[in-house]
Amino acid sequence: MGAAARAALALVALAGLWIPASAECTKLASGRRYPVCFDPGNRLSVTAGSDGFGGAVALRQTIHFEDDPDLQWKLEHQIAEVASAGGAIGLTALLYRGRYVRHTRDGHLVLPLGRPRKIFLPFDIGGLVEAGRLTRLPDGAYELGIVKTAALVDLWRTRDFRRRLAFGPVARWEVGLARDTSVVLKDHVVAPFSAGIANLHAESRDGLTTADVTIEAGTAWTTGGGWRADARAEATLERIVLAVNDRPIALIVGARYRAATDEAIASVGARVVLFQAADPRAR
Amino acid sequence: MRAHCVAIAAIAIGLPSIARAELPLMERDQPVACAKDLDGHTWRIQCDHATKVCLYAADEELDALGKPVKPLERAKDCAFDPFDRAALAAAGYTFEPGRADVPWGWTRDDRGRAFQINFDLRKRVFFGVAYTPKKILENPLESTRTSIDFGLLVLNIKNDRTMHRLRFVEGGVHLEPFSAELVLAHYDLSHRFLDPLLRITTFFGEPARHDLTLDLGMWTEVGGLELHRTARGNAQLWKHATAEVTLDLWQSADLGSFARLRTGLALEGQRDEVTGYHSAIVQTSAFELDMVVDREGFHNLRFELAHELPRYFVEMGDTGKLAQRMKARLHYEAIVLAINDQPLSLKLAMGGEKRDDIPGLPNQWAFVMDAGLRFSLWAPPRARL
Repeated sequence: MGAAARAALALVALAGLWIPASAECTKLASGRRYPVCFDPGNRLSVTAGSDGFGGAVALRQTIHFEDDPDLQWKLEHQIAEVASAGGAIGLTALLYRGRYVRHTRDGHLVLPLGRPRKIFLPFDIGGLVEAGRLTRLPDGAYELGIVKTAALVDLWRTRDFRRRLAFGPVARWEVGLARDTSVVLKDHVVAPFSAGIANLHAESRDGLTTADVTIEAGTAWTTGGGWRADARAEATLERIVLAVNDRPIALIVGARYRAATDEAIASVGARVVLFQAADPRAR
Repeated sequence: MRAHCVAIAAIAIGLPSIARAELPLMERDQPVACAKDLDGHTWRIQCDHATKVCLYAADEELDALGKPVKPLERAKDCAFDPFDRAALAAAGYTFEPGRADVPWGWTRDDRGRAFQINFDLRKRVFFGVAYTPKKILENPLESTRTSIDFGLLVLNIKNDRTMHRLRFVEGGVHLEPFSAELVLAHYDLSHRFLDPLLRITTFFGEPARHDLTLDLGMWTEVGGLELHRTARGNAQLWKHATAEVTLDLWQSADLGSFARLRTGLALEGQRDEVTGYHSAIVQTSAFELDMVVDREGFHNLRFELAHELPRYFVEMGDTGKLAQRMKARLHYEAIVLAINDQPLSLKLAMGGEKRDDIPGLPNQWAFVMDAGLRFSLWAPPRARL
């Protein structure tokens, strides 16, 4: 892992700890109000940067229950995320990623055998689901992440989406792809909950700053070489710096590392939001 | 007013007894009254006018010392109607401590805390890990006898007399010998027909009518994939689409359980490193049993016996134009605990398979047995019959 990537990871981690707050979500100029708070979880955006060009759809959804106001499901969806520099330089694409967290005022464990018993646990639980991740590797081959799932325990509990510190075991199934006369499947890589994932996410109250750090480490089994250690890390920091016609434009810096390819890549770019749900506070 | 408050205070004297186990639960569909005591705490009261027994419970969750700490979860609204304990006592009513009402599928402990005790595993997102035992002990984190399974959405929707069953991205991966199965989308339906296809009347003794009902349905899948790694290389079986007709031999009252026969056709393509790519039309037939054994949904049983006959358009090496696949699988899943009302279940499965369609796989019965854990998200309470 290069020094630049390490520095970028540290920068992102530090930035995630500093979250400015803003109570006022609209300002008045020339008799018209304009928003200064944005919702980073509901938008269609395009990005341009050192990773190439791309885009993604992000959606957030909260399910409430009339008979239990303390309970809610927080659902985050990322759909059709693509970043491509074209040619042999690089491609990453993700068909779907969902993160579902069940938030309650008090977590608990129920032992339903015999007379049911309830034991207090101070965390939310949830799951991560990822399907259809395609990555072009440095040697020109492709890797298809067919499915990835993780059970999550969120220790930094909140009713909104602004913060998360989640841990859990992760299962992953990936396959190498090669193009011959047709697409040929190569080695399979399977981590049967033999790896762990940690995810730290924080957003400022006004939605202008977003930081996310994910680390996965453990072992994975390959059809070609049996068990091997596997680790990967990814960090991003996004800061909205201006808005055109109330559509935000953000600077993004990021870094990612993979032990399997011993590859560390730092990236910088800009994200333009084409469509987004207005922040409720700014309506 | 003073008499009213005193009456309520008298109920509050029963507070220490709330710590007693197995207090009766108030009926969800019966009215609940609320009243405040002298300390300002609200109590829920439900009277059964047939037995002349009134249950009372705190309207708040209690801490370990019996002190109210927060509002009850999942309790229905109660009205603050005038409540006269003395008049009720004079009329022969007795007052007993109880637990506040909860929705179907939930219960409360003696402190008023609600938790789910009934789970519908046909409405969930799940992922699990399983292990096939063998005599040699292995590092559990690096065991090649491990498998994972997953279902990104399992959803049964009941509409009157029809049950729609949807599954998306469901499958599993076994490490050694490597094999994987994945189905992108599955849909089947069962319907309960009220009018019989045939009515047979017998005239032996008293005339009697015997109905023969054909509960027909359908079963479809698209985007199926099987991967196998054999001594002769990798083989991929793409099950593009399958359509079958089903006949339910037995249906439970809620259509959640069934035994059925199904038969139909599938279109598939197989690619392996020996014979290349071959397309086939497949005749498929199966017997299926899917059963929720108990009312609470804790015990779930599934059995499948399937027979498939792929007929290749072009002769495929030594196999020729016709191959055969047979498989049987028995699967039992039981909920062992719930974390934040999301169930963790134990899965026990055993199965056998015999096939001659994939070069390198021995044409003989192969058996496997595994045990594992599954974690489910969502899994709401089962519908009340």
